[in-house]
Amino acid sequence: MSKAINVCIVIPAYNEGPVIRHVVENIGATMKQSKLNYTIVVINDGSNDDTAAQAAAGGAKVITHILNSGAGSATATGLSYANQNNFDYAVTMDADDQHLPKDVLAGIKIAQKSATDLLIGSRLLDSNGMSRVKVLGNKGLSFITYALFGINVTDSQSGLRVFSKNALENLRWKTSGYEFCSEMLWRAKQIHLHIAEYPITAVYTEYSKAKGQNNWNAVNIVKSLIRRRLIEVFE
Amino acid sequence: MRYILLVALNMPIIILGLFNIITQYKLKRVNKDRLTHQISLWSIILIILIGSFPAYNLLMGKAVFDSSELSLFDIFQTTAIIVIIYIINRQRQKIEQNEKTIRDLHQEVSIKLSETHGQN
Repeated sequence: MSKAINVCIVIPAYNEGPVIRHVVENIGATMKQSKLNYTIVVINDGSNDDTAAQAAAGGAKVITHILNSGAGSATATGLSYANQNNFDYAVTMDADDQHLPKDVLAGIKIAQKSATDLLIGSRLLDSNGMSRVKVLGNKGLSFITYALFGINVTDSQSGLRVFSKNALENLRWKTSGYEFCSEMLWRAKQIHLHIAEYPITAVYTEYSKAKGQNNWNAVNIVKSLIRRRLIEVFE
Repeated sequence: MRYILLVALNMPIIILGLFNIITQYKLKRVNKDRLTHQISLWSIILIILIGSFPAYNLLMGKAVFDSSELSLFDIFQTTAIIVIIYIINRQRQKIEQNEKTIRDLHQEVSIKLSETHGQN
């Protein structure tokens, strides 16, 4: 009999009180139907609202950052927890309810079958529903990721990613904000992890549209990535 | 003579830079990629310094590159720039190390606190 795999669902959250309970319950219901052992971990990144209480009410384990440290840092904490607790896979997903639980399950299956270390759920392989401005911003950041780090993916900024045990043990990054998405791919390439993509559907509600990153934030991300790349020329 | 002085003044800094990175590598504080990168950086600086005199001789008399020889001020200024590169490099490594320590500490404290408080 094959051993059931353990999956850690990591959800970094900052002030997501209105939706986090629904997100946790939704993914929990889908995972319950699968044959996987799972734990849902919400990284409450120093929220000012009731994110922690709502996530706990939904059935998640909550790890609270004392200080707001950014999405990169919150994701790193979640993956560190998964690594310390010997999970076979960790899946990160956004807390704003834009990811479908069926895509999480599909990602785990694909990662298992293809022995992928870092599987990215790409919203741009099928960009239906995403506004043109967001498509442009995401494609632009993916192009910059390619230009700076030589990694060719369609959606470098996707929040839905599947990490293998190998990735959990070895993958580390330095940036703490949203620029970690591109840096993480670069670090994965440096340690020769197998990176792949699969198509996912992103659901844009009024809430997620209001919470999402705007293209001006992309300018900040690009600045930070260029700085990081230049610094490491001298490292 | 001035070019010899330029190389002589800067050689100890370059050796210090190389010695520093080799020590860090031997103590397993940096990986092989970073070692290679740093050795390349300091070697390029050394090659530029050693090659500056032959390059000057080669280019002298050609319209665009025609210039006067190095003054003593130029030598000290170049040395100061290389010292600054060395100091910046060291300080940045220390800052990155401290950032990593704080980040790891924050992560560990958060995970341990969540276990202690049993937020489940």
